[in-house]
Amino acid sequence: MSIPTFIIRNALRNRRRAALCILSVAVSLFLLVILLVTLRELTLPLEDVGAALRIVARSRISIAVLLPARQRAIIEGIPGVEAVSPFSWFGGKYKNEELTTFGQFAMDPKLLRPIFGEAKMPAEQYAAFEADQTACVVGKVTADKYGLKIGDRIVLDSTIYPCSIELKIAGVYSGTIDDRNVLFHHKYLDEAAGTGGLVGMWWVKARSVEDMAPVTAAINRAFANTSAEVRAETERAFQLSFVSMWGNIKILIGSICTVVVFTLMLVTVSTMGMAIRERFQELAILKALGFRRRELFACILAESFGLAMAGALLGVGGALLLFTNVSISKLTQGIFLVFEVTPRIMGTAALVAAVLGIVASIAPAVAVAKTSVVEGLRTLD
Amino acid sequence: MALPLKYNVRNVFVRWRATLATVLGIGLVVAVYVLVQSLAVGLRRASANTGDPRNVMIVRKGATAESSSQVTREQFRLIPYLPEIARDAQGRPLVSADVLVLVTLPRRGDNGEAHVLVRGVSPAGRQLRPQVQLVAGRWFVPGKREAVVSRRLAARFANFDLGNVFKTGNRELSVVGWLDGGLSAFDSEVWMDADEARSLFTRQYYSSVLARAVDAAAMRALTNRIESDRRLPLRAMPETAYYKAQTLTAKPVQILGNFLATAMSIGAVFAAMNTMYASVGARTREIGTLRVLGFRRRTVVLSFLIEGALLALVGGLVGCVFSLPMHGYSTATIGWETFSETVFQFTITAGLMARGLLFAVVMGLLGSLLPALRAARLPVITALRAV
Repeated sequence: MSIPTFIIRNALRNRRRAALCILSVAVSLFLLVILLVTLRELTLPLEDVGAALRIVARSRISIAVLLPARQRAIIEGIPGVEAVSPFSWFGGKYKNEELTTFGQFAMDPKLLRPIFGEAKMPAEQYAAFEADQTACVVGKVTADKYGLKIGDRIVLDSTIYPCSIELKIAGVYSGTIDDRNVLFHHKYLDEAAGTGGLVGMWWVKARSVEDMAPVTAAINRAFANTSAEVRAETERAFQLSFVSMWGNIKILIGSICTVVVFTLMLVTVSTMGMAIRERFQELAILKALGFRRRELFACILAESFGLAMAGALLGVGGALLLFTNVSISKLTQGIFLVFEVTPRIMGTAALVAAVLGIVASIAPAVAVAKTSVVEGLRTLD
Repeated sequence: MALPLKYNVRNVFVRWRATLATVLGIGLVVAVYVLVQSLAVGLRRASANTGDPRNVMIVRKGATAESSSQVTREQFRLIPYLPEIARDAQGRPLVSADVLVLVTLPRRGDNGEAHVLVRGVSPAGRQLRPQVQLVAGRWFVPGKREAVVSRRLAARFANFDLGNVFKTGNRELSVVGWLDGGLSAFDSEVWMDADEARSLFTRQYYSSVLARAVDAAAMRALTNRIESDRRLPLRAMPETAYYKAQTLTAKPVQILGNFLATAMSIGAVFAAMNTMYASVGARTREIGTLRVLGFRRRTVVLSFLIEGALLALVGGLVGCVFSLPMHGYSTATIGWETFSETVFQFTITAGLMARGLLFAVVMGLLGSLLPALRAARLPVITALRAV
C-alpha cells in the first residue's frame, strides 16, 4: 500500500462521515456561489453592445419628473448627435398581475433601429411597427413567457398615467441584453394620457466614441438654468445609478457570505477533529514505526484537503450545471435574466474550500505532534 | 419506562468539546434567519405603523401609490365641504391636499444617490398626522422655500443638517427643522408647503388628499360617496389600510430569509448528524447496557432525539443572543411602492425568536433521527463487547 492509497482508504474508512462532510461542504459552497452570483447580477448590470454610443438624459430633479418635448429640437441641433428619441416609462400592469416584470416604453418608432441597433427583427416588422400608431414590439422573453404572437392584442393599465392602452403586436425582437420590454408609439401615449408635450427621458445616439463626452456636456449645458434642467450621462452610468439605490446590499450579502463560510469552517473542523481523535492510537503506532511528524501532517492535511475539494467540486459543479441548463428567467419569473457563474466566482469558492481544508487539519495535526508516542498508544477512544 | 431527562442533559455537557462546533453552527444559522427576517418585520412595521385610523386617503383610481396619483384642483374643490369631514376648532375642514415628488439627492460620504420622497402638505396636514413630531428647529413657513426633513433621513443624506441648503434641479430648499415620524413611513419623507411644492416642481395637480372623518360611520359614508361619484375618478380608503397594503418591499426580503435559512440549515443538519453519529459511536457499550437493563428500543430512539433537540435548542439560544444587539439598528433601502429610500429598523420580536428556536429544534431532530435509529438497532451483545 502506498501513501496515497493509505490516505484515500483512511478518508473512506467511515464512509458515512466522509459523505456527510462532503455534502455539507457542497451545499454551503453551492449557497456561497448563488450569493456571489446574485450580488454580481445586482451590482454589475450587463452592458449592451451599442451602449458605448448611447446617452440618457433625464430631469435633474429625478427620473420621475417629466421633461418638455420641445427639448428634442435643441438636442438634435448639438453637433455629434446622430439621433434623439423620447423614451417614457409607461409603468403598466398586464392582466392584473401583482408584479409585472417587463418594462413598457413609449418612443419614436422610426428611431428603433438607429438607436437600438442590437435589437434584431425582420425588416417588415420594423415597417409594420412604424406604420400603425397602436402597434408595439415585444421582446422575445416576454413573448415566450405569455405565448404572444404577431397580431395579438395586449392591454396595459398604467400605474402612473391615468389611462389604459391596447396595443397590437407588430414585431418580436431579440438580441439585446434585456429582451423583455414592450416598445410603442409616443404619439399614442400622448393622446391616451393627455400629456402631449411631456416626455420621460431622452435617449441619444452619438456619432462616435469621441463625441460622447462633448455631447453629454453640451446637453447638460443646453438646459442649465432653464425650468427643466437635465442630467445627461452615458447609458452605463445611468444603469449603475440604479444600483446605488440598493444601498448597503453589498455589505449585507458580504456579511451573509462570511457567516456561511464561518459555519462551514466549524463543520469541517469538527469533522476532521472527530476523524483524527478516533485514530489517535493508529497515528501513535505510525509514529512508533518511524514515520516523521511532517509525514503525518501531510497525511492529515491531504485527507482534509481531499474532502474539502471533493465538496467544492460537487457544490460549484452543481451550481454551474444548474445555471447553464435551467432558464433563470423562467425560474424567477423574469426578475433576473441570467445567472452567470464567472471563473472568478468559481475560483473564490475553490479557494474557500482549499483554505477550509488546510485550516481543518491544523488542530488535529498539532494535537498529534504534541502527544508523545506512549501517551498516544494509551488512548482508548 | 422512559430515560430521565437528566441523562440527556448531562450527555450534552459531558461531550461539550465535540458538540461545541455543532452548537455554534446551528447558532449561526438561527442568527442569520432571525436577522434577515427581522429586516422583513422592520420593513413591514414601518408601513403598518403609519396613519391615523380616523383619516381617509383619496387617490386617483388605478394609482398604486400616492406618488403616481393625480388629483386635479377641480376634483379637490369638491371634497372639503362634504358633511362627513371633520372640522378644526376654527371651523375649517381638516383636509390636506398633498403633492408628492421624488427627488434624487446624494447620500452622505460618497455613498451614491438615492430617491427621497418630498411631501408638500397643506396647513392642516400636520394636524391630520399626529404621529409626526417636530424634534429640532422649527416648522416651515408656507410661501418660503423651506423644508422639514425626517431626523432619520438627515443621518443618511448630505445637506440635511439644520440650516443647510440642498439643491434639487436648479432650485434650493433650506432645512429649517427635523421631524420624527414615530417609526412609520413618514420617517422617510421631507415635508414642505404643498403650494410651494407645486410651484417649485411646476406641478399642475395635487397627488392625493387626506381627510379626517367625523366618526367611523362618516368614514364609511365618505368612502362610498367618493367611490360612487361619477364625476370623480378617485378612490378612497382608510389611511391605515393604504399603508398596510404596501408589502411589496418586505416580501422579497422574507423570501430571501427563508431561502437562506433552508440552505444553511442543510449544512447544519449534516453537522448535527455527524456529531450525533460520533456520540452514538462513543457510547455503544452504554447503549448495550441500557438495552440489557430493559429499556426498550423506542426509549433509546426517543432519548437520542431529545438529546439532538436539546443540543439544537442550546444552539438556537446562542444564535438568538448573537442577533439581539442588532435590534433597533436603523438602515434603509429602496421601497418598491414609493420608489424612494425607505428607512426602517431591524426588528426582532419575541415571535421571531420563537420561530428561530423552533427552526433550531427541527434541525436538531432531523440531524439526530438517523443516528438515533442506528443506536436502537445495535445488536445488544456486540454493543456490550465494543470498546
